[in-house]
Amino acid sequence: MKDSDSNASETHARFKVGDRVRVKNMPLMFYTRTQNYARDIEGTIVELTYKDLVPEDEAFNFDGVLDQYYIIRFRQKDIWEEYPFENDTLQTESPDRWLEPVSH
Amino acid sequence: MNAKSDGDYARVRLLEEIRSQGKEWEVLAPLYGVTNPDPPWKTSLVGICESLSDSGALPSLERRHAEDELKDSVYGEVPSPESDLLALVHILLSRSLVTEDDLANRMRAVRARVEAV
Amino acid sequence: MTEQHTHTLGMHPPAPQVDEVSDYEILEIAVRELAIEHGLFTAEDHRRFTEWAERIGPTGGSRLIAKAWTDPAFKKRVMDNATEACKEIGIDWSEPTGFGTPSDYMNLRVLENTPKLHHVIVCTLCSCYPRPLLGMSPEWYRSTNYRRRLVRWPREVLAELGLIVPPDVEVRVEDSNQKCRFMVMPMRPEGTDNWSEEQLAEIVTRDCMIGVAMPKAGRTEDIRRPVHKARRPPQPATVQ
Repeated sequence: MKDSDSNASETHARFKVGDRVRVKNMPLMFYTRTQNYARDIEGTIVELTYKDLVPEDEAFNFDGVLDQYYIIRFRQKDIWEEYPFENDTLQTESPDRWLEPVSH
Repeated sequence: MNAKSDGDYARVRLLEEIRSQGKEWEVLAPLYGVTNPDPPWKTSLVGICESLSDSGALPSLERRHAEDELKDSVYGEVPSPESDLLALVHILLSRSLVTEDDLANRMRAVRARVEAV
Repeated sequence: MTEQHTHTLGMHPPAPQVDEVSDYEILEIAVRELAIEHGLFTAEDHRRFTEWAERIGPTGGSRLIAKAWTDPAFKKRVMDNATEACKEIGIDWSEPTGFGTPSDYMNLRVLENTPKLHHVIVCTLCSCYPRPLLGMSPEWYRSTNYRRRLVRWPREVLAELGLIVPPDVEVRVEDSNQKCRFMVMPMRPEGTDNWSEEQLAEIVTRDCMIGVAMPKAGRTEDIRRPVHKARRPPQPATVQ
């Protein structure tokens, strides 16, 4: 499946490597690829990967807007209660529109 | 919008009959001294799944969700790749993309073809 | 699944097929024919994806890692643009459509282990996997048991799979939930100085590239792993 080319009039691409972000908790949709465990969790942008349509939009409200996708790193201790290992981390990938900036 | 669930999966008689034969590859291969880890139709099954996703008839994420439910319930005791095949057919049946009668008839015709060789 | 070893070919060549046609084999043909007749996909697409599936296997990944271990410039190219670097070992992620497959896409990232960092890959949503480099995913990787538990209890799951990671080493779980695909570059083990690329490739098994095993001199096969079913059936999704 071809990554959409960047002739779209608009792209959501708000973040850079090192930014702190929080995963939004938008209503569950059947096609979402944003995991439940990541919702409302803060993490750090570690990589910009590619620009593409968002699957939810491909299925429904096609607005043709591309999102920058990011790899985000979380501390396991921030995701799970009583996670016993200080340094363990977890990374996932997320499109721009599922993220909001965190000030601290 | 709530997730469209493929719902409770009732057992499908045709698939239960196939399953009850117990002719999984992990049983057949040692019987005949065949060391290939996978049955010869496994790559064709991969071809079916990729083709269904590519055409949009059954996107992979949807198929995998339904597969998870089926393989953890109805086909819980069946090994892979037989469980994958049964789950795929079950999903196609539940979405009326094929019918049980058509499948049964076609299986008879295919077997007649194969055994005539 | 154990890997086939080249040194066993010629001793007892495996018989290509069993002497009976199972209902499974018949079912696969029947559903495929009906699907094509109903226009769910074309015979040509099916043939193209099937031939692709027949070409892939874990040796591509093994060769990539072995080459990266012995060639620092190649390793840099792998870390800079892994998808492109794969072409140097004959793996083209754009196959078979020109844009990859609808499951694998064309965005590979290689995750480099260090003495203080151990990676392990999973796809909680559906078991995405770097198939062009590693072949078809093993059943245990696709189980809901692995996918649900690895993100929550990575060290416990790794221990069950035979790998203990010391507490001072960071365990980083990579959940491939979008279009990037990941593979682990394990550390080159001790006792492999002056080994050829071929010798090194032999000890880089599939499980080492998923992150559930570590390469070792003399270890050329992955353990056959039983598939444990998750104890509870899938619950409706709830927010943590």
